[in-house]
Amino acid sequence: MAETKEKSLSDEKPKPRVRPIVRLGIFLISHSFHVSVVCCTAGVLALFLLPVLAKNTYISENALMPGSASPMLSNQHVSDGNRLVKDLTNPNSKSSETGIESHKIIAQYMLDLGAEVSFHKFHPQMNQFHPLHFFSSPDSGKIQENYSCSSYGINTVGIIRAPHGDGKEAIVLVTPYNALKSGFGEALSLGIAYSVFSLLTQVTWLAKDIIWLVADSQYGEYAAVAAWLREYQTPKFSSLSTPNAEMCPDVNNLFELKGHSISGSKFSNSFRRAGTMASALVLKVRDQNEQFEDTISIYAEASNGQMPNLDLINVVNYLAVHRQGLRVNVEKLWSLLNSSWLKSLGEIFESLAKVAKSLYPKWKFGIPATEYVEGTATLASSLYYQALGVPTGPHGAFRDYQVDAITLEISPKFSLDKVWRNDILLRGGRLIEGVIRSVNNLLEKFHQSFFLYLLTSPSKFVSVGVYMIAFAFLIAPLPMVAASLYVDANSSSNCSKGDSSTPSAITDTDEHSIAIRSWRWLNSAKLVFIVHLWGAIVSLLPYFISQIPDCSPTTSFMIWVLLSILSLLTLNSVLASPLACAKATQEKEWALVKSVTISSVFIGLGLMSVINFATAEIGALLMVPMCLLAQPLKLDVRAGTLRSFCRMICNLVLGHIAFPPAALFLLKGMLDGFGNANVGDFWMWVESLWAWNSATYLFIGMVQLPCWVLCISILFHTC
Amino acid sequence: METFINPKSLFHLLLLPCLLLYSSIAYNSSPVEAAMHTNNWAVLVCTSRFWFNYRHMANTLSLYRTVKRLGIPDERIILMLADDMACNTRNKYPAQVFNNENHRLNLYGDNVEVDYRGYEVTVENFLRVLTGRHETAVPRSKRLLSDEGSHILLYMTGHGGDEFLKFQDSEELQSHDLADAVKQMKEKHRFKELLIMVDTCQAATLFNQLQSPGVLAIGSSMKGENSYSHHLDSDVGVSVVDRFTYYTLAFFERLNIYDNASLSSLFSSYNPSLLMSTTYYRKDLYKRRLEEVPVTNFFGSVMETIHTDAAYKALSRRNSGRFEDEMSLDQSVHHIKRRMLIKVNDGDEIHDINPELLQGEEGASKCPWSTFRNKFQKAENVDSLLNYGLVAMIPLLVISTWLVQ
Repeated sequence: MAETKEKSLSDEKPKPRVRPIVRLGIFLISHSFHVSVVCCTAGVLALFLLPVLAKNTYISENALMPGSASPMLSNQHVSDGNRLVKDLTNPNSKSSETGIESHKIIAQYMLDLGAEVSFHKFHPQMNQFHPLHFFSSPDSGKIQENYSCSSYGINTVGIIRAPHGDGKEAIVLVTPYNALKSGFGEALSLGIAYSVFSLLTQVTWLAKDIIWLVADSQYGEYAAVAAWLREYQTPKFSSLSTPNAEMCPDVNNLFELKGHSISGSKFSNSFRRAGTMASALVLKVRDQNEQFEDTISIYAEASNGQMPNLDLINVVNYLAVHRQGLRVNVEKLWSLLNSSWLKSLGEIFESLAKVAKSLYPKWKFGIPATEYVEGTATLASSLYYQALGVPTGPHGAFRDYQVDAITLEISPKFSLDKVWRNDILLRGGRLIEGVIRSVNNLLEKFHQSFFLYLLTSPSKFVSVGVYMIAFAFLIAPLPMVAASLYVDANSSSNCSKGDSSTPSAITDTDEHSIAIRSWRWLNSAKLVFIVHLWGAIVSLLPYFISQIPDCSPTTSFMIWVLLSILSLLTLNSVLASPLACAKATQEKEWALVKSVTISSVFIGLGLMSVINFATAEIGALLMVPMCLLAQPLKLDVRAGTLRSFCRMICNLVLGHIAFPPAALFLLKGMLDGFGNANVGDFWMWVESLWAWNSATYLFIGMVQLPCWVLCISILFHTC
Repeated sequence: METFINPKSLFHLLLLPCLLLYSSIAYNSSPVEAAMHTNNWAVLVCTSRFWFNYRHMANTLSLYRTVKRLGIPDERIILMLADDMACNTRNKYPAQVFNNENHRLNLYGDNVEVDYRGYEVTVENFLRVLTGRHETAVPRSKRLLSDEGSHILLYMTGHGGDEFLKFQDSEELQSHDLADAVKQMKEKHRFKELLIMVDTCQAATLFNQLQSPGVLAIGSSMKGENSYSHHLDSDVGVSVVDRFTYYTLAFFERLNIYDNASLSSLFSSYNPSLLMSTTYYRKDLYKRRLEEVPVTNFFGSVMETIHTDAAYKALSRRNSGRFEDEMSLDQSVHHIKRRMLIKVNDGDEIHDINPELLQGEEGASKCPWSTFRNKFQKAENVDSLLNYGLVAMIPLLVISTWLVQ
């Protein structure tokens, strides 16, 4: 219709030359349906093409030079590490209830090497929802109430000063350790770290200090590391007024004992610091072993989809594969590996690449189908964990202070005989040594390589410039469709009015009515605004619900749903009722509402893509089709054609899927199977989101949920 | 100058003041056209910072050691090192620098004199050294005090590209700058011959703008080629030497101070397949044939000290006899061999500047003062000289008193 209008317009007045860009815009808007179909298809296709377009990683920073120095870790250091493992796994060391004994053993070992040692006591902080703390840095002056002497953790910290260094920088090595119920894996990770540590006390080439943090993981690995980092980065000066951990007799006891046993040594009661952290490695050894060979898993995602510099992953990958012969893993969505449709898609791409290559030999972009499937599974998991915005390990705590960190989890292949243990100690230790030596060579922060990327395998990545294309395709039709709907709604009412009344009447009231009509979209904008306001209220509700004591997740969720519906009804009756009658009278009202909704979604997605790309991408996959397809069901039923029937079905399906809890349910089902899904899951999931200050939570509350409600209201619009 | 007094001749004694005056005028005004090769200088520059550029410093220090071994004394070497690798905290061997993984030779030993170090190594300072436009406070040891008889070796290494060489990761020396500096040097008679040796990527492009005569240039790679490091020291964890420099050093290790290998043998010793790049040398500005120029003309020192009586054109060195040799810094030199070398060089030089010499001989026969000089040489010691002088004063005194009366 717009097309015909354009034609008639151009027929009438050919005189004023329209600039080419305006003409192009008009053309796109008038063909918005075709454009949006093409763009959406291209967007989805581009997303599936990403594994094909992935580039091989390369070490971008000259100074790193991984593997240029031969490892110095010898069997002597390995046997040192073995000694510590034996002492820790010795049943005598576990006699104490608080696990202080094993901390003492570790501290003693560190002291014997000549390192500076200190203990860091911390009280685990309960994760709480602070509505205003999104994106804000961790609070230093947080008042910590409810100290109880029974619940505290002890981090043991050993520091080696670089012999010729200036002490301005440091590299952190973290080994989570639960003294109360440590598995053999944890002890082994301590053994690896100790063997590296004992080597590093002897070498002359250190330019950065080395900090070894044995994080007490009885309250969670992340909490311990985060507590230590908070203390390290933001020292507290008001410790007099707050009750202190030193008041607890048990801790005092610990320090007295230490003081007696080792007087005049480098042990200190106060908190010890070294320089600015250049990077951090978290080392873990997995207890179970299902792998066929020694593998090492890399976890890199920190909060809100932030990634460490790609060079750090490259260094680890290079050293593990080419020097230590370990297989490197990054997280995959295992369920995708066996999907046949993905496999056939990969085969299609492969054969296409072959055809292209036969046409022009220089086109080499194809990858084998199996590789494609693996790449897609890795990419999907990379997207998922970034979208979730929850760190995948203790390394996430470092990212909050802009320190590049990753977690390395070694999963050895077979069981616990001694030769094997020495082997894993040697190889793991040499890997850590190599990474530390490489990072030691750095002159500045990691800055050369990418920060915005998705991994498709440990040695392949898709950079921001490539993956943005898929997203751009997806959201490109939104403004066009919005504009076309707006034009459409205005012109159609124009036409209808023009038909009903005489031409003379038009000329009378023409200008006035046009002026009124052109502002009609404000009504729809008001509705959209109300719904978004409601979204904000819904996002705040959990803060109050979480104050209710002794509430199971399911009941909390139910309360939340009830309150949300109640607030929506209230808001609607208070703010929107005066307009309701006017709304009903106007035709094509739904088109205007849809237009404004699409605009707001476009803005929301655009903003989110800057904050967390992966969330925006997944959100766009769900919301863009829903927004574009939404049309009152009544119209479709009335039309009764096959096309409208299809659209109706699509609308209904999308209306279900795009509802956030349903989307989560589906996602969980895809990941873990549908068996153990629960209504309370969503509540727990949301709780974890806000605990980690994930922007995804805000996105769901303030963009996706309002959009869904608006689309549903369009679907059930009475026209 | 008082040594010219001939104690035996009263008549000549009376002429003494005139003689002094004449000789001093002659010395100051004598223009030295087409000077001969009298001394050697070396300017060795490492332009890059950072630990991972260890090899550039090792290159330069190796060259430093080589030219010192071949006889250029420390005061005639300007050594510019852009960073301090020896005391870098990442150095596994503190205060030592090696250019080979066998670690047999510490290049950073006791007697290394670094003239410009760290952030002093800038394009500005480099050009100041070449052109000699220093601020007044700059000590002599940091200046290139060469003259029109100097052979200068200019060695540079670092990271470069098409017509530029990077200094300090922050600025660049362009081929125009280098050519301009060389031109100024030529105009100011700061060198007789200049050998520019550059080990960097696309080194050949750095010589494109050179115009001054007497300049010979050799670079490690052609345009579009990279220069590669030779090997990695897995103990220190960095590459320790570049290929071009490594094979240059290998060539010189076979030589000692008396060897007579020619520049062409050096230039043809580079094997492109070992270097992984093609060496390029530009000799269109250089007149002598490379086969006839010994490498020691640049990498060693042929220092000729000319007696002050060279002021008289007549007294060329054939008459004045042997040149004094100042290569004594190298303690291990055998005396006889040294003489041999001088003879060899003598022959070269004589061949080279033959017409000049002939002219000089002609002048010598005309000059009467040479006979005085010969006689003077017979005067054994200062004491006898003094005695003769005093005796000679007596008649003078007698005559003067007689005249007064």
